[in-house]
Amino acid sequence: MKRIGILGPGAIAQLHLACWQRLPVEIAAHYDLRPEMAERAAAEYGGKAYSDLHEFFAAVDVVDICTPAAAHKVNILAAVAAGKPTICEKPLARHLVDCEEIAAAVEASGVPVFVAHVVRFFPEFKAAKAAIDNGAIGKPGVIRTIRAGAFPRTLGSFYGDFAKSGGVVLDVAIHDIDFQRWCMGEVERVFARGLTFANEPERDHALITLRFANGGVGHIEASWASPPGQWRTALEIAGDEGMVEWNSEGEAPITQIVINEAGNGKLRSTLSPLGDDINPYQAELAHFLDCLETGATPMVTVREAMMDVKVALAAIESIRSGKAITIAEFTAETAKVSA
Amino acid sequence: MSNTTIKIGMMSFAHGHANSYANSLQQLPGVTLAAIYDDNTERGQKAAERYSVPFAADTATLFAAGLDAVIICSENAKHRPMVEAAAGKVNYILCEKPIASTAADGQAIIDICAQTNTKLQIAFPVRFSPPIQWLKTKLASGELGKVYAVQTTNHGSMPGGWFIDKALAGGGAVIDHTVHVIDLLRWFWGTEVTEVYAEVGHELLHPGLGIDDVGLLSFTLDNGIYGTLDTSWSRPSSYTTWGDVKIEVTAEKGVIFVDAFRQHLTVSSNKVGKTQWQNWGSNMDLGLVRDFVEMIRNGASPSVTGEDGLRALEVALAAYASAERGQPVTLGG
Repeated sequence: MKRIGILGPGAIAQLHLACWQRLPVEIAAHYDLRPEMAERAAAEYGGKAYSDLHEFFAAVDVVDICTPAAAHKVNILAAVAAGKPTICEKPLARHLVDCEEIAAAVEASGVPVFVAHVVRFFPEFKAAKAAIDNGAIGKPGVIRTIRAGAFPRTLGSFYGDFAKSGGVVLDVAIHDIDFQRWCMGEVERVFARGLTFANEPERDHALITLRFANGGVGHIEASWASPPGQWRTALEIAGDEGMVEWNSEGEAPITQIVINEAGNGKLRSTLSPLGDDINPYQAELAHFLDCLETGATPMVTVREAMMDVKVALAAIESIRSGKAITIAEFTAETAKVSA
Repeated sequence: MSNTTIKIGMMSFAHGHANSYANSLQQLPGVTLAAIYDDNTERGQKAAERYSVPFAADTATLFAAGLDAVIICSENAKHRPMVEAAAGKVNYILCEKPIASTAADGQAIIDICAQTNTKLQIAFPVRFSPPIQWLKTKLASGELGKVYAVQTTNHGSMPGGWFIDKALAGGGAVIDHTVHVIDLLRWFWGTEVTEVYAEVGHELLHPGLGIDDVGLLSFTLDNGIYGTLDTSWSRPSSYTTWGDVKIEVTAEKGVIFVDAFRQHLTVSSNKVGKTQWQNWGSNMDLGLVRDFVEMIRNGASPSVTGEDGLRALEVALAAYASAERGQPVTLGG
């Protein structure tokens, strides 16, 4: 059984740990800059808390990096230097120059690294990709996706700090960029408008237009401007032989309308419980275990994830400059302007 | 038998669910689809070819394969002879719903399994739907207070074939689509249906069909909850999907709607010529087959028994009786 080590047991790590518990692995080690976080995770999920990174690496076969994006580079570089296959949360890094450094180091090391772009494992998004692949909609021409929620007030301050998180585009729209690239191929040009630099407190929002090298177009709405408690996603892909649609609004199998004793008016809610067999977080982790077993290349490599970051940063630069950005001309140097 | 491969045979592909169960068997670790028997040789040979397993021309050949279990997906009226052939030859039987086309056959199936010490499970896959399982947990929590009523549907498309032959199916839409939801309600509350009233329609939606295609059941449960169930084959062939399982619960503290198959993608393909809903939710047939296999592996008892199957069938039969009489019919007396 592979020994798993969680590096940075924060919010997303809780999701991963619950899934690792259902997979045939040993949760062996936890490391965090805040030792009490590692201790707490070890108490809850088993395994040992480490305060020394080298001892942590020595105790594991697979590293699962769940730190904020700004800490991805230093941890990936350390993990591959220790020769440990690594899963890293998205986005690959906050800055393009860091992505380039990661890609060079990972590719030189030959150590398998998978970037956890989980939307590719969401059953509804996976089914839409399958509908393209099996020819049901012909050649895809227009792809539209929506990912909209409230401003992350309670998840810890770093999400709301543009310098650390890159705002809604790098944290949220990057899911859609990765999914749309998976469906349509490489992005040629991006244009975006949004609230990122609008000085709207506790709001961020972006409308992004993509032109793909295959001639197709894409639209992304990414929002941190919905009322608290709201979250919705949608997709629509139209091709020359058909169309696929999905919308979390009104498509949930469960609607509850309950009498609310507190009287705060939030009476209606929807739910869509998923069985373990289609849990996307479990599926992405299982995918990497399969890759390690078979020697297959992970579905999202650091180079793929770097392209996602590049398109996201180009979208941010477009919001800042009001200009369309050609990806081939967008470099680590030009990315610094809106960094 | 925790480390040995479990060998399962299939008897008849008359019911389309057989394909889903066969796919499930081939996906699960530690189990093998060992052989296929069908009294329709052509259908059985085609299925055997599809799944690359031997075709058994008769039941003696099938059981010579040394099976642990069989899955029976024959026409409803043939469940009894197939169970009688298999009981004692295998230790476990998974039988498609409804358990039989008559209550007498249903009881005979239970009796022969008891006499031969064969464990019998009835195929009610909707119990393995995560939204339905969520509802069961929610109801068990008591958070809703007193539950007053359930308004339910199990709509379908008209399946044709033997499903519209009374001798083989025992009836039409009512016998086909009563049992799933009734089983869920019995399972939620550990209760029984005590009274049924039904309006049954013949050829209301499909002229010349020769059997019932509409059923509206109104019932009371032993725990005081009342409800209705629409079993109609009312989804036209041009509709987006085969049908639905929907349950609306009205309770003291609120209302809950569950649409078990609502985890879907809407796909419009010119190649198909219509818009379709393509399920991306859990495969509940896989859940059912996994549960059956785990029962065998662990030597456990069936999670859905022959009695569960018979109680649900009795409600469908009572619905037909009520429709004939034009009055409610009492059960379990």
